[in-house]
Amino acid sequence: MPDVKLVDLTKTFAKGRIVAVDHVNLRVYDKEYLTLLGPSGCGKTTILRMIAGLVEPDEGEIYIGDKLVTGLPPEDRDIGYVFQQYALFPHMDVWDNVTYGPTVKAWEEEKRERIGREMLEMVRLYERFDAIPQELSGGMMQRVALARALAAGAKLLLLDEPLGALDAKIRFELRYELRKLVKDLELTAIHVTHDQGEAMAISDRIAVMKKGKILQVGTPQELYMNPQHIFVANFIGENNFLEGHVVKVDEKGVGIELRGGLLVHGHDKTKGEGERVALAIRPETFTVEKGRKKKRNSMFGVVERVRYEGTNVRYEIRLENEDVIVVVRPSLTEEWLNTGDVVTVSFPSEKSYVFTYPSHGLREELSVG
Amino acid sequence: MGALHNRKPIAQTVMFAVLASLGIFVLLPTFYLISFTLTKWTEIYQDVFINPLIGDTNWQQILRYLALSFRLALVTVVLDFLFGIPLAYFLARKHFFGKPLLEDIVTLSLVIPTSGFGVATLLTWEIVEPSYVIPFINVPFLVLIVHVALTFPYIVRTLQAKLEDLEPVFEQASRTLGGSAFTTFRKIIFPLSLPALFSGGVLAFARSLGETGATMVVASIHTTAPMAIVRWVFEFKLATASLLGFILIITATVAILSVEFLMQRGGAFKTPKFLLTFKIEDKILKGEKFLSGRPRWIKDVASLGAVVVVVILPIIVVLTSVGSYWSADPDTGKFQGSVLYQLFGPPSYFNTLMRATLTSVLVATVSTYIAACIAIPSVYLIERYRFGRTLRYLLRIPLIVPTSALGLSVLLLWGPGGLKLAMPGIWLIILTHIVFSVPVVVEPTIAAYEGSEIPMFEGAARTLGATPYDAIETVSLPMLERGILAGVILSFTHSLGETGATFLVMGSDVTVPPLVVNMVEALAIPAALFASAYLIALSLLLLFLFRMVVKR
Repeated sequence: MPDVKLVDLTKTFAKGRIVAVDHVNLRVYDKEYLTLLGPSGCGKTTILRMIAGLVEPDEGEIYIGDKLVTGLPPEDRDIGYVFQQYALFPHMDVWDNVTYGPTVKAWEEEKRERIGREMLEMVRLYERFDAIPQELSGGMMQRVALARALAAGAKLLLLDEPLGALDAKIRFELRYELRKLVKDLELTAIHVTHDQGEAMAISDRIAVMKKGKILQVGTPQELYMNPQHIFVANFIGENNFLEGHVVKVDEKGVGIELRGGLLVHGHDKTKGEGERVALAIRPETFTVEKGRKKKRNSMFGVVERVRYEGTNVRYEIRLENEDVIVVVRPSLTEEWLNTGDVVTVSFPSEKSYVFTYPSHGLREELSVG
Repeated sequence: MGALHNRKPIAQTVMFAVLASLGIFVLLPTFYLISFTLTKWTEIYQDVFINPLIGDTNWQQILRYLALSFRLALVTVVLDFLFGIPLAYFLARKHFFGKPLLEDIVTLSLVIPTSGFGVATLLTWEIVEPSYVIPFINVPFLVLIVHVALTFPYIVRTLQAKLEDLEPVFEQASRTLGGSAFTTFRKIIFPLSLPALFSGGVLAFARSLGETGATMVVASIHTTAPMAIVRWVFEFKLATASLLGFILIITATVAILSVEFLMQRGGAFKTPKFLLTFKIEDKILKGEKFLSGRPRWIKDVASLGAVVVVVILPIIVVLTSVGSYWSADPDTGKFQGSVLYQLFGPPSYFNTLMRATLTSVLVATVSTYIAACIAIPSVYLIERYRFGRTLRYLLRIPLIVPTSALGLSVLLLWGPGGLKLAMPGIWLIILTHIVFSVPVVVEPTIAAYEGSEIPMFEGAARTLGATPYDAIETVSLPMLERGILAGVILSFTHSLGETGATFLVMGSDVTVPPLVVNMVEALAIPAALFASAYLIALSLLLLFLFRMVVKR
């Protein structure tokens, strides 16, 4: 039963000048749906390819089940791989594509036929069995690619941005189909994507990566509610970042003086007095009221911009210290504010995060480029 | 707005001019022999089949020489595939330090002067009896080696280009699904590169069929069909020569057209099911798995080794032999058998060689220039118009037709026996060389055009205000530059080394490659050695230039 273990996995390119994967340790549990999430170039696809055996690591080991597979060619690792560009063999029809795995593994004809049929029916493309890939739409091709990877019988499924090349609507529908399929078949799945919405929707756990390192692994909820790294706080969901330094430490957390002398309270016990910090508050955590009313953890500001987004209204508010924050409020249950309104924003201290201010600067640390 | 009115007629005139040039300078000479043979059929028939003196001996000879040439070509292609496929794969997929060098060696045998290479091979394999014939397949050993050396690049290059184009993702997909390396090759790579393999194979086959220069040097007592044509022209047996040339040209045309037709229909897609799965599939799979486990470098080393032995070794031998033959015959010690004696002594081959070099360079320059002027606009015709596809196929034929048949065709068309446009001499040589130089420039240019996205970029230039001509000049030509340059250098080098056709049309304006053949026949071996080494060194230099230019 495949769980996957990565031990100290490292891969460099250009004679060591580019470190794609930097001593990564990860454990993927049997039957878990884990997503490797991160911006382009963070190393997630390289890791996937190393697990598949398409790329050899420079250092470290990979275990599938309890078997050490580093050094084994892909055909001996018993995996299923779904490529971003589908990679359906253009000279074969759907049926031959899907039954390719069983064919090269020399399964008996009866078993081959049965699996081929099952898989195609599972992705609801059985009637198109004699179509060639060029005749299919993107979504269909992806389903065939999936069926093909599954038909080979492997219990570990590796997916490389499988929905990346599809239109938004299809992407949205297919993501749930994908998860359901994996769960119905009781597979272990490792899914690579840069789309955090996708990751949040279908994963049991997510590993957020940046520049070759895993920053945090956790359930979608854990990552959203409890980001341990400032990059994660920004990459998952949205966050406002306010710069300041710690002026007081008490039992409940820290008092932070923001730019312009604004004083707020943050819920963190790990920072020391005088330390420069970034305070992260999610847009939906703020409450806004017209007028100036001093409250717990409040700041005054002026509404600069109002944008309607269907379920929500998005406000850009310029605080008295010139920092601009984004506040998101439900559109149907509250009265709207208008541009130019003077307002009081406040937030509960427990729902904010305090991070050490990044040494290379906030913009650099948060960048995805 | 006024400019718009002028454009169409100018474009049309240009198009007609280009088509006319192609027709007159390239296609007409290529096919003239066919019409000649058909119009003079009764005379030819009488002479060949019911000759009053010798009955149908001529026809029997034709058949015999054809049989040898076909056998030779077939075995050559088989060996080409055997060594060429691993080499092509190696070059396409692996990146290593000496890669450009290896690629240059492959290119080298495409452009190396054939008669010079023949001399080099003859010298290298001195231990083998020149007339030795390999049993079972009945082909002369030396001729086979030379043919393999001269034709394997066609297979390696077409396959390498296709493999580099082929996304590695298909092979990777096959591997993740459980296919071993050999299985992946059989079921995925091979079917997808079938068009390339076909074209490469047909080109190699036809090249072997038409190979004249090197064969003339190493064939000893054997005669291939192209050699026979040359001999018969000099013996004034024009009827027999024409018939043989006619047969060879028809064969080349049919081969090319049928391959292209096949390519059209099936293409690479929907490989018929029976080709993908066999009844004994299980056993095959097991065997492939076994083979894949064995050290794969063995086949790479074998291919590389073959290349070294067949191409590099002779070159090294001939270049060093000039040194050992320089002042005396190494076997007898006699001064008369030395290079110095033959070049500067009574035979005074040096002057002949210098004159021939001048002729060769002049011919190559003029014919390449004219060919490029015709070829570049032709590429546009081919890409823009529907008839372009047919045109492209037709243009492949001059490359495949045996050069001596081509020479005969030109001789009969433009020469004293025909329109009397030119006597055998430098202008006739130039006219002949244009025939195959145009296709040589066209192909790499088309490859560059199709590999780029020129129509898109031209469109972008046009939306920014460029006229069609501007767009071509400032956008497309620079993008095509490398392809054009590659074609030009290839054409120049090829023209320098051409033997078979030149032999028939040169009269007294000798170029270097036929001179080498003459030297060998006159048994002036040291002089032949020098001339061959000199020719080969020249083509190495040109290749170096080519590499410098393309590297940019």
